[in-house]
Amino acid sequence: MSPIDPRLQEALDNERDPGDLPVDLWEAYARLNAATQILKATPPVSVASRVMAEIRQNPAPVQGEGPGRRLIHWLGRPRAVTVRLRPVWTLALAAGLAAVLLVQLSAGGLTPGVAQGIANFVGHFPGARSVEVVGSFNDWSRGVLHLNDDDGDGIWHAEAVLPAGQHEYMFVVDGERWVPDPLAGRYVDDGFGAGQQNSLLIVRPASAQP
Amino acid sequence: MSWKLVLALALIARPADLGAQTPPNGTTRLPGRVPAAALPAIDSLIAAAAAESLPTEPLVQKALEGSAKNIPADRLVNGVRRGLLQLRQARAIVSHAVPGQAPPEGHVAAVAAALARGLSGPIVERLITVAPDEPPGPALHAAADLVAHRFDPDSAADLLVEAHNKGLRGLRLLDVAVAADHELQRPGGRTPSEALAHVRAMLPNVPTPARRP
Repeated sequence: MSPIDPRLQEALDNERDPGDLPVDLWEAYARLNAATQILKATPPVSVASRVMAEIRQNPAPVQGEGPGRRLIHWLGRPRAVTVRLRPVWTLALAAGLAAVLLVQLSAGGLTPGVAQGIANFVGHFPGARSVEVVGSFNDWSRGVLHLNDDDGDGIWHAEAVLPAGQHEYMFVVDGERWVPDPLAGRYVDDGFGAGQQNSLLIVRPASAQP
Repeated sequence: MSWKLVLALALIARPADLGAQTPPNGTTRLPGRVPAAALPAIDSLIAAAAAESLPTEPLVQKALEGSAKNIPADRLVNGVRRGLLQLRQARAIVSHAVPGQAPPEGHVAAVAAALARGLSGPIVERLITVAPDEPPGPALHAAADLVAHRFDPDSAADLLVEAHNKGLRGLRLLDVAVAADHELQRPGGRTPSEALAHVRAMLPNVPTPARRP
């Protein structure tokens, strides 16, 4: 920062008549003087005024307000939270969570219960944009169980935990084409009179699988 | 691993166990999914089933299925009605096979499913009579599997009765059908009767599939 000309300083401090300044300092004097006036005009923002403003924003609870309302107010009011972390413990926690996640993924992530089994759905639908399986296990609801073709080879598959027992199902290709599972091995007429067949799946409980 | 879907299916799915009990009233799941034009008729069919102490869940599932497939209302109602008739026929078969007992609801649903797969009433009745106190689903599905693979129905029933007599129960009966089908498809060619004879000779030690169907 360059030092201010002492004559300018004296003029700004009212210790010298600005008219005595040399011509080449007039413009600098005018700018500095204008800035000084602006600063004088801005009201000071003190710590006290900020605290009072905050208090006005958050009025004290009304006398007689019930504990429920006070709790709601307390819960709804924004608060600053300071979190103090030790990096070593944070890293250890992150590593632990990652390990648990990886173990679950490597195990397939599917853990059927006593009366459940794992069902694999596979279909060859080259060029399909989407394939889902809809059946009695999901109340024939769309959008619940999607097959995936991650490598784009036209073979779509999904794995799901289902209740042990008999399930009828069909594939829905591209959201509109209902197709029986060609690999199901078991089929049953759907009973609606058009000769369409549902695929039939018998899920064995996981406890009975080898 | 993204294709391995851990789904909430286990939570939302209805157990369709081979001998499962079904909830008494599933009609609350129908409004909003079944076309309004079909809903009153379907409601009355389900109410009739409930009044006759027949399982209603197969009818609810049929209504949901038809609605998901956008089946026209008249065919949808006919499909549910056909299901009700099969349940009535199933109960008659169970009552005849196991006289003097109230037909277990699971038995009725399993027999109705077997009839839908094309098994004849006499074959169904014979298999139930062999093990009246056991859930009949596995034996009936095993018989239906064999018939679907061109085995003679009576011979298929003979094989399953023999398997039961030699100690095979429940889902192991499905392995009998799988073994017979493997014998039928073995290179060199076996006739169905030869395949059945071969499996009969290995009873009760039919192989367990590595990954069951």
